[in-house]
Amino acid sequence: MTKAAKTDAPRGWPLAPGTVRAVLNGHGILGLAFAALIYLVCLTGTLAVFAGDIARWEQPGVPVANQLAPGALDRAVGAAQAKGPAQATLYLSLPSPAQDGASILAYTPAEHRDWAIARDGTLTERHTPFSEFLIDLHIALHLPRTWGGMLVGLTGVALLSVLISGILAHPRVFKDAFSLRRGGARRLQEADMHNRLGTWALPFHVTIALTGAILGLTTLIVGVLAMLLYGGNTARVYGFFVEPPPAANAAAQPMPALAPLLLEARRRSDGAAPQQLIIERAGRADARIAITSRRDRLLVPQDTTVFDARGRMVTDRHPADLPAGVKLLGGIGQLHFGWFGGLPVRLLYGLLGLALCLVTSSGVTIWLARRRDRGRAVPLWERLWTAVAWGQPVALAFTAAAALVLPTYGDTLIWLWLALTFTLLLVAGLSRRFGAAAGSIRARQAVGGALLGLALFYLFVRPVDLSGLGVEAALLLGAALLLRRPATHRIA
Amino acid sequence: MIALPAALGIAGGIAGATLLRRAWAERQRERPDLIAAGWAVIGGTILVDAAWIGWIRGGALAVVAVGIGALIVLIRGRTVKATRAARATAAPCEPDEPSRAWRGALKAILAGPLGLAAAVAIAYCAAAWVPGAPPTRVLIGGLTIPIVWALAMIWTLADPRLMRSLAMIVTTTLTGFALAALQGPV
Repeated sequence: MTKAAKTDAPRGWPLAPGTVRAVLNGHGILGLAFAALIYLVCLTGTLAVFAGDIARWEQPGVPVANQLAPGALDRAVGAAQAKGPAQATLYLSLPSPAQDGASILAYTPAEHRDWAIARDGTLTERHTPFSEFLIDLHIALHLPRTWGGMLVGLTGVALLSVLISGILAHPRVFKDAFSLRRGGARRLQEADMHNRLGTWALPFHVTIALTGAILGLTTLIVGVLAMLLYGGNTARVYGFFVEPPPAANAAAQPMPALAPLLLEARRRSDGAAPQQLIIERAGRADARIAITSRRDRLLVPQDTTVFDARGRMVTDRHPADLPAGVKLLGGIGQLHFGWFGGLPVRLLYGLLGLALCLVTSSGVTIWLARRRDRGRAVPLWERLWTAVAWGQPVALAFTAAAALVLPTYGDTLIWLWLALTFTLLLVAGLSRRFGAAAGSIRARQAVGGALLGLALFYLFVRPVDLSGLGVEAALLLGAALLLRRPATHRIA
Repeated sequence: MIALPAALGIAGGIAGATLLRRAWAERQRERPDLIAAGWAVIGGTILVDAAWIGWIRGGALAVVAVGIGALIVLIRGRTVKATRAARATAAPCEPDEPSRAWRGALKAILAGPLGLAAAVAIAYCAAAWVPGAPPTRVLIGGLTIPIVWALAMIWTLADPRLMRSLAMIVTTTLTGFALAALQGPV
């Protein structure tokens, strides 16, 4: 929050002016220390909300079956067993209002394969390297999962901290709640945007920061609580939330037909719609089939019926049977990724996610502009921040273009992205054309050009298909907004 | 189906924010009637959405949609001026506080690992004392860690007195562990 907005604390504000200044100082230090990480995680998180849409754009023509023919699921599971890695756990997602189409994922810790299921049960393998790259960059920065997750979790804690301190450091939060000046002095313009977006989107931003911190720090949280509460037995903590595996029996056993199990699960769960099947050890006598079903008014699917290899019901749990902790845990992922309501919710999440990117970026810009106003400009840092804030969309656009051309080289995308990121930092660091306000305008035009270029490039390398139109439209809209002349020449 | 409650949330956000904007635009006199009406519209919108599509699901949707509605009011009411070139050198600047690397390092330790230790202690205490089934207690403990750690960061980075910050963190940590130990095994 800006210095102009904080010192004259109104009556009733809980902090003294000196304390407000101290909190503002801490807000600035923490925000600057984590700015680049917060920005990267927020930008990739905003895009990751649309990972499914981006995947369909990357690979148009993949079947999106919202109805499945009789026997289609059995055929799909049989084919996934045959094509997937040995002893894989199969995650079969059924069409729902929140997610179009059916899919099946064959997962082992070493390898996974993912297919879309057609109406008749035939499988089409998904090759969507860019959406996978985005998700991995968001949740673990492509580092080893535990360490990357912890770094992202720490970023979430830092974000939560700056969100709270930002409000505490802004005594006129209500009086100034609608003051948004564009044009004029750059610092005031950026400060207004930072403070206003930060205020009105605060509940969403706090939710995202808190849930993200918990998801990222899961390993740490479970580790320390298991150590303190259960003598280091992490399996006991995980066991509260995940069914323990059944006793091993590797004898062959054909899979039971799935349709009767789905009917039985629906009957037992008061008509809730089956949404996911998790099939462990398929084809063995110790196989287990868990069917999770969704009720319209609940955020998280809470009906789970588990069957054994012969199709006999083993356990049956419904909302009334679940402790609050299990329900809460399920809600964390739903709230963080906006999975609970389909496209309308994804669009709202996308807009407020962009707002969080702007809040982060403008926070750094305010600091840079204030130094410039005081005659102590730091042009190198101005150019480097321009390279981070505007360079990342460019780097991601080029990475997406590479993924379109070389979809089977997904593992190399991280190196391309890293090379692009460092190149942009180097170019911005050495070039004087990317400093302060003028540099931002050039960089904005570069992002607009990159988005337009990606949208046009797509038309050359992929057939035009309905499934890719949404992302194409978003790219063109983004390009149009960025390339138009800013309306700051009028006097209000 | 969810598009309608989302649209209601945006409309409620626009209506509530419009009332609040009008109330806070009057700098000379308080308008408690408009302020109350604005918040009532926003709260009512969240309640209606929650009752419509489910308490948690609808509440989560409404909070997001109301935020968008308020931002629409904010952006529509922006004032636009000609861009002014930044002053190359302004009045004599306030000097920065003398840069002391060791203070920065100590603050980082206080806000980082020591803040985490305090958060773990409070989480342990919460897991030990909160009523409910073990999964609920573990989850409450887990939720507590990032929240308390974030608050510890605010405190330690804002407090200019390092020893006071240290005392606060150490006291919180010891109190958390002691209270948890009083409760005994979970």
